[in-house]
Amino acid sequence: MHIPDGLMDPIVALIGMLEFLAFISVAVYFSSKRLQEKNLPRIAVLSAGIFVAQMLNFPIGGGTTGHLIGGALLAILAGPALAIVGMTVVLLIQSLMFGDGGITSFGLNALNMAIIAPLTGWGAYTLLKPLASGVGKVGSELAVAAAAWVSVFIAAAACAAELAVSYAISGGAYGIAAPVSIPAMLGYHAIIGIGEGIITAGVVGYLMAVSAETFITSQDMPAAKNRWHRILASRTAQATLAVLVVFALALPLYFLYSSQGEDGLERTMTDGDVEEGDALLTSPLDYGDSYFAALFAGVIGFVAVVLASLGILRVMKPMTRRD
Amino acid sequence: MIEAHVRGHRARDEEDGSAESSWFWQLDSRVKIVGTFGLVVVASLITRPEIVLVALAAAVAIAAISRVFPKRLLVAYAAAFPFIAFASVSVFLFSGWERGFTMLARTSSCVILLLVLALGTETFDLFSGLRRLRVPGLITTLLMLTFRFLLLLSDELERMKISRKARGFSGGRSLLDRNALRVISFTAGMVLVRASARADRVYEGLKCKAFERDMKPWRSTSVGAVDVVFLASFAIIAGLLAFGQYGALS
Repeated sequence: MHIPDGLMDPIVALIGMLEFLAFISVAVYFSSKRLQEKNLPRIAVLSAGIFVAQMLNFPIGGGTTGHLIGGALLAILAGPALAIVGMTVVLLIQSLMFGDGGITSFGLNALNMAIIAPLTGWGAYTLLKPLASGVGKVGSELAVAAAAWVSVFIAAAACAAELAVSYAISGGAYGIAAPVSIPAMLGYHAIIGIGEGIITAGVVGYLMAVSAETFITSQDMPAAKNRWHRILASRTAQATLAVLVVFALALPLYFLYSSQGEDGLERTMTDGDVEEGDALLTSPLDYGDSYFAALFAGVIGFVAVVLASLGILRVMKPMTRRD
Repeated sequence: MIEAHVRGHRARDEEDGSAESSWFWQLDSRVKIVGTFGLVVVASLITRPEIVLVALAAAVAIAAISRVFPKRLLVAYAAAFPFIAFASVSVFLFSGWERGFTMLARTSSCVILLLVLALGTETFDLFSGLRRLRVPGLITTLLMLTFRFLLLLSDELERMKISRKARGFSGGRSLLDRNALRVISFTAGMVLVRASARADRVYEGLKCKAFERDMKPWRSTSVGAVDVVFLASFAIIAGLLAFGQYGALS
């Protein structure tokens, strides 16, 4: 998934670099404050392990190979801020020492593998863990595996979208066309994600059983002092924030690439000379035409779906108990 | 394999002996980083096929005069080639051969320049150059430790391989085998646990040698006349490429 120099449109690369710089600044700030010195060599060992894991390509069929990303593993073990820094270090070594991934595309590579992958992996794990905890160790391992799969798939989706956007806005001079990039990246990484999920669950399970106190450093956060800090320290709040951040990151791509054309049903209605009648109920909200309007609509939609899902689960729980 | 990969950058053998005495190797690492990054940025912006060819020729010429060992450069380029080829073929299929070829040449020129920087600079010089260019201390320290611990992981992996062989483990099964991924993940976990214990000792050793969480350059080079000439040459090449792209367009 390492994008080389010269492949991406300069505007897309610049947006990626600016987003990466914003995130790494925040991550370095929090990591420097929270990192205990005893954990420094451990983070380095984990980063080195992820470097090795990314070096080992395995066949996934059709003459294609894939490699692990490791973002979810690092985020689960070390927390999101240190995971962002650790993954950035891995990508820097790959880029500077081995020419794997470029300089102008470094922002995008880091955005995909050092920010989106750890944040989605960690967010998914934090949200899934309470649901899976009732099933014991297997549930916990399933939550880790699912989080790792999600992290790979979303990172690959972001990479495919960046390639497609580059192709679209440069008129074919940069990037890869969407009909090639999206199915190829998503298809292959859906398979790679399964391997990543199983291996991540195995490694985390092993470390938890053998040497939990050595490696599980994500619990090292200092105790929250006031109410605001307690809210920020809540893992559910942090996980939700992580998902929202990924959503906000992906939104510029939506504006760059989304088509103004009609969807399938609208086109069929136009072809059949059928006009859309007045709605019985008019929605108070619209998706909006600007970044912040669409972000607001997306956040409202996301929160509504999460609350509805949690409500349905709450209702279903007593029913399953009665059964 | 990992050891060869990493040691290849650290301990130069006799075949690379000439590289260390080359003018490129002797340059200040900050100047090399700034010059190379600047040229890569300009090269990645070029879309006109004839100018992209000039950029590729310039990259190859720089590789030749920097006296980087050619075999190592080719091996490293070959490792990056599959993704370059995939992108170029897809552009070729959708936008024609000219754009596909342009993509191949542009990406190759950028990769070659980066490889010249990587292979023509001592690893820790590169990291200390980044630190002196104001990259946060946490990142450069982790870069240094991560690179150091790669060798340590490799050592532990080799030791585990030997002990597993001694216990009659054959390995080499398909990834579709139901135990294969379990074995891989447990092996990775074991290597991490064992390497971590050694990493702690290495870190204690560093602290005994007055290491204080932030890497300090042990070789404080200053920018000399040769560095200025190098930077000016790279700026001229970048300027000519930019003029060829944008000057001719206007």
